[in-house]
Amino acid sequence: MEFEEIVLNAITALRTNLMRTLLTMLGIVIGITSVILIVSLGQGSVAFVTNELSAFGTNYFQINPGSSALSSFAGGSKSLTLEDADAIRNDTSFTNLKSVAVFALVTAEASANDVTKTYLTYGSTADIVDMLKPTMVHGDFFTQSDDQDSERVVVLGEKASEVFFGKCANPVGEKIKIDNKTFRIVGVARSASAMVGGFMDSALFIPLNVALHEIEGNVEINEFDVSVKNPDLINDNIEYVTQLLRERHNLKSTDENDFIITSATDAITTVQTITQLLTLLITTISAISLVVGGVGVMNIMLVSVTERTREIGLLKSIGAKDKDILLQFLIEAIVMTSIGGLIGILLGVGLAFLISIFVKIPFVVSIPSVLIAVGVSMLVGVIFGLYPARRASLLSPIDALRYE
Amino acid sequence: MTTPVIQLINVTKSYPLDDGTSYQALNGISLTVQQGDFVAIMGPSGSGKSTTMHILGALDTPTTGQYLFRGKDISSFSSDELAEIRNKEIGFVFQTFNLLPRTSVFKNVERPMLYARIPKNEREKRVMKALELVKLTDKVQSLSNKISGGQIQRVAIARALIMEPALILADEPTGNLDSTTSKEIMMLLHSLHEEGHTIVVITHDEDIANMAHRQIRIVDGKIVSDKGKGK
Repeated sequence: MEFEEIVLNAITALRTNLMRTLLTMLGIVIGITSVILIVSLGQGSVAFVTNELSAFGTNYFQINPGSSALSSFAGGSKSLTLEDADAIRNDTSFTNLKSVAVFALVTAEASANDVTKTYLTYGSTADIVDMLKPTMVHGDFFTQSDDQDSERVVVLGEKASEVFFGKCANPVGEKIKIDNKTFRIVGVARSASAMVGGFMDSALFIPLNVALHEIEGNVEINEFDVSVKNPDLINDNIEYVTQLLRERHNLKSTDENDFIITSATDAITTVQTITQLLTLLITTISAISLVVGGVGVMNIMLVSVTERTREIGLLKSIGAKDKDILLQFLIEAIVMTSIGGLIGILLGVGLAFLISIFVKIPFVVSIPSVLIAVGVSMLVGVIFGLYPARRASLLSPIDALRYE
Repeated sequence: MTTPVIQLINVTKSYPLDDGTSYQALNGISLTVQQGDFVAIMGPSGSGKSTTMHILGALDTPTTGQYLFRGKDISSFSSDELAEIRNKEIGFVFQTFNLLPRTSVFKNVERPMLYARIPKNEREKRVMKALELVKLTDKVQSLSNKISGGQIQRVAIARALIMEPALILADEPTGNLDSTTSKEIMMLLHSLHEEGHTIVVITHDEDIANMAHRQIRIVDGKIVSDKGKGK
């Protein structure tokens, strides 16, 4: 029998019991939808995180004080000093070095235009701009000489600027009071990355020297951002700087580092590993629903064989061979699971698209995962359709014709 | 003399029973049907006429004895070889469940040709010709569950003819029909016989049997009478 005719017959048979067919397909639809959705969202998330982390480039690493991420965040450690930064800058053996940006963090009260608000204020060297790569909405970032001369200048984050001066206003040249000292606004900056640099939009940036010497309170060095010329050498450079700082901090070989060095590449690798593991885990769980769906297909195909016993007898009496009957029922199961798989792919891709819009991650459709989904759904049809089809094919024509 | 279409030589058929014994359905039947014969096989329920029909239709094989179909012994054919014989040499008309449910008249008549891998345009031509013969060209796209009992039997006859078989085997073809429609179907079979087809009808109805030219009566798995032989 021609393959086209077998498929057409299978579709006719499946349409005869449309509701039953649809319900049987549901298991496969759910399985495939969840696999496609999870893989797509997983890859979208990795793409998003990778983009975000790469926004600042992969040619830098950061050094924070403290022996753990928590202490570095809490700001309780004072292990990094300006002298450390100078030591890295002036090390002649470190030929791959491009720059060392330093920043200190403080919360300070700012007021302008009768608006007063407390802001996270970054005291930083001017070269931080090379690392953060902000878009300058108005004006420019402050310069190295502003830092050296301890000029009271400030760059406002875009949202901070809106709070004091309203939307679209250009406040460059205006004055703003920070910690009761008057600063001249030189620029308004928009962050390059929503995730990593999003803090920039609602922050103030002042020269490091001004922050360290003119702002009241406990101002500490929070971070060095070390840029290198050749990112391929970054791991060797990290090892070198680690050794340099350990020597400067007089750490014994048994002591732990009192600083933490991380690179964007590290973070990307970690995120990718976690996401891949999660994707694998959830895909495995979804695969179980495919097996359950397959058992449903087998069950319904067995019911169908029993219901259509006389039909099988009739077909055998007009010349159908065992393999014709086997193929007919097998193709029915494969058509059913394949259609289920296609619906699952469409639903999975559609849902992934909607969710990607909603949570603002890139929409990624993995072609291999779609092809695997098609293959798996057909395979489920073959595996779970084979037994009922074989049972149908082996029926004796007389028993089948006599079946009541 | 031409080779007979059917030759049963001392055929027996027994079925094993659950208690270890066996049931003897046919007890040494010998029978010859020539090309162009119109034969009615009659007998009460349990007489063995259905078993005879199964063996004649290559749906089953004898326990002992020989079945020569057009001179070829098919008694020990495999299931695929028997399927080939059923497909190409025998056209069936059953009492009930003749057609594939919810399938068009066209598709029903076409089906045996799909198993024989006959090309599409040839299939279409043959279906239309067969439906013309049974006067059902207006029902070509009708679904099998939307036509009357008489029409169903006519479609079955069209399907039985489609492979131009050596034998048309009808098992109680009028069993489910009213007397007028029964007569129509028998007239149709009669006219096919006039055209040269070999027809064997299994029936318990004397009136129907009398329309055939030869009546064979089976009782307890044996032929007890064979009237009109040689006509």
